[in-house]
Amino acid sequence: MSTEAERPRVRMAAIVSGLSAGWLERAAIWVVLLALLGVAALFSDAFVQPIYLFNMVRQAAPVGMAAIGVTLVMVMGGVDLSVGAVISLAAVVAAVLMDGQAGNIGYALAATLTIGAAIGFANGVLIAWNRASPFILTLGTAVAVYGLTQIYSGGTARGIVAPGFREFFNQRIGGLVPVLALLFLAAASLAVLVQRTTRFGRSLYLVGSNPGAARLAGLHGARLTVATYTLSGLLAALGGITLLARSGVSSTFAGRGFEFDALAAVVLGGTTFEGGRGGVGGTVAGLLVLFVAFNLVNILGLNYNTQRVVAGVIIIVASAAYTLLTSRR
Amino acid sequence: MPVVSRSMRLTDRGIYWVLAAALAAAGLIPEFRSLGNLANVATQSAALAVLAVGQTFVILCGLIDLSVGQLTGLIVVLVCDVAAGRDAMMAPALLLAIGLGAGSGAVTGLLNNRLRIHPLILTFGTMSVLQGIVFTYTDRSVGRAPAAIAWLADGRLLGLPVAPLLVLVLAAGAHVTLTRTRFGMHVRAVGGGRDNARRAGIDTDRVAATVFVISGVSAAIGGLLVAGRLGVGYPHAGAGFELDAIVAVVLGGTSLAGGRGSVAGTVAAVLLLGLTNNVLNLLQISSFIQMLVKGLIVIGAILVNQPGGRRAFA
Repeated sequence: MSTEAERPRVRMAAIVSGLSAGWLERAAIWVVLLALLGVAALFSDAFVQPIYLFNMVRQAAPVGMAAIGVTLVMVMGGVDLSVGAVISLAAVVAAVLMDGQAGNIGYALAATLTIGAAIGFANGVLIAWNRASPFILTLGTAVAVYGLTQIYSGGTARGIVAPGFREFFNQRIGGLVPVLALLFLAAASLAVLVQRTTRFGRSLYLVGSNPGAARLAGLHGARLTVATYTLSGLLAALGGITLLARSGVSSTFAGRGFEFDALAAVVLGGTTFEGGRGGVGGTVAGLLVLFVAFNLVNILGLNYNTQRVVAGVIIIVASAAYTLLTSRR
Repeated sequence: MPVVSRSMRLTDRGIYWVLAAALAAAGLIPEFRSLGNLANVATQSAALAVLAVGQTFVILCGLIDLSVGQLTGLIVVLVCDVAAGRDAMMAPALLLAIGLGAGSGAVTGLLNNRLRIHPLILTFGTMSVLQGIVFTYTDRSVGRAPAAIAWLADGRLLGLPVAPLLVLVLAAGAHVTLTRTRFGMHVRAVGGGRDNARRAGIDTDRVAATVFVISGVSAAIGGLLVAGRLGVGYPHAGAGFELDAIVAVVLGGTSLAGGRGSVAGTVAAVLLLGLTNNVLNLLQISSFIQMLVKGLIVIGAILVNQPGGRRAFA
């Protein structure tokens, strides 16, 4: 039983604890990242060298670009598993259209981004129209897109990267920060800004946490769905271009499995399948946790296959931790 | 809910009509009509059929199991490596396969009940772990399947192909289990609404764990069939099987939300997929276009058969 004097104080305490709990949740993954970096530094002093760390960001950029789009989709309560296929298609298309000519770069990149956006648009329309399960639907899109990629490429690596293309993206500004890393960080910052300050960004959270209320508030769910999936396709295509710039390889299955890494980064970052929670900031941290873990596994002399085991365990443990955090409140 | 009327468009009976129409169309191709080819379609579809029947239990229960593909791969590799072509090793190899399948399913079931994370994420994680284990074990083909397993997958019994007979027996058993036993009713009840099932006194955790074990065992049997067909322990053997199995279940009219669906529909869908592959092969259409067609079939199936809820992503 509370007296008149106590009531406001109780309410304040509740608000403070609510805020701090939310803050803790958001900060948790960054704490994990710092802790992991600390552990990694014990094994190799590479993990405290800025040049190595920025190179890691460069390495993570292709998955990261796609993960930004997947985050937006998942905040809205959907999911996009076609990003790995779109990354592969984009890398092949960009390389083929460049055809080794520097003059083709602009046109090749524009066409590639358009194709990515078109695939995302198709996903969005089908999901909004039919309210089909995006999980299976985008898996189907992925298979179809892999087929398209193979038909287009004839099943082998094709296309020639234009001279200067890779050099531009991989040069280090100030001898430290690769352009690719900077590009990814810029894209992520822009996405954070969009989700925090724009009507579109806020709408995603509302639709994700309560679609019924969102409809009553006058939000056009179908239009938002199409826009978000289109954005995800566009970002995945950007991821493909980033991959081409990073590795120069445009094989048919260049991006296979990237959708899993992206999903792991997003879930680690605190965005849930239920939607309405999380955001791009957490995804960046989750992505870095994943890649520090991968690099650590590498440095310890374990191979790619062990990385898959590590990734699987991380996905399960992180999801379980978040479930625990949210059910306590 | 308007969703219900939508859901009636192509459920239950739909897949049989599609299969009948596809059979009639395929019958126009002379090569397709031969008994040998028909037996071939059934034999080639056997492994997927077993996996899909197992997945039907999981999906009817409102869950999903993405780990079965890599589990199949692991079992193919281990069975061939352990047996190394010796028929004397048949019994240990069989025990290993079934034990591993059931064990993996039990672990998934336990984690599902304890961690309370979405089964998509959970089995996605276990899939990644299993994939890592398979390729840590070997990244190239190892061992050899014993003759007895090859017979199981590719042989004949009284002139009839063995693998389809096995599928028929397993599918009939699964059908009876789901429609005539208490456990089957419980699976549907849990899939239809877990909280209500719990209030009705059903041990929902035990039902969930059991369907994961069934799924794991189906991956083991599927793995034996794949091993028998390939003859060697090929580590990529199971890749993508999980998606094919889920597609078959969905195509067969089982709702991803759980509670509604049938084994017969799943088997019909597997036959439809096998028939499509066979016809595309007979028409000498490139594997690339086949891949595109498969993707379009998945998309078509989900659009026609899955009237999702607002947030249904599973």
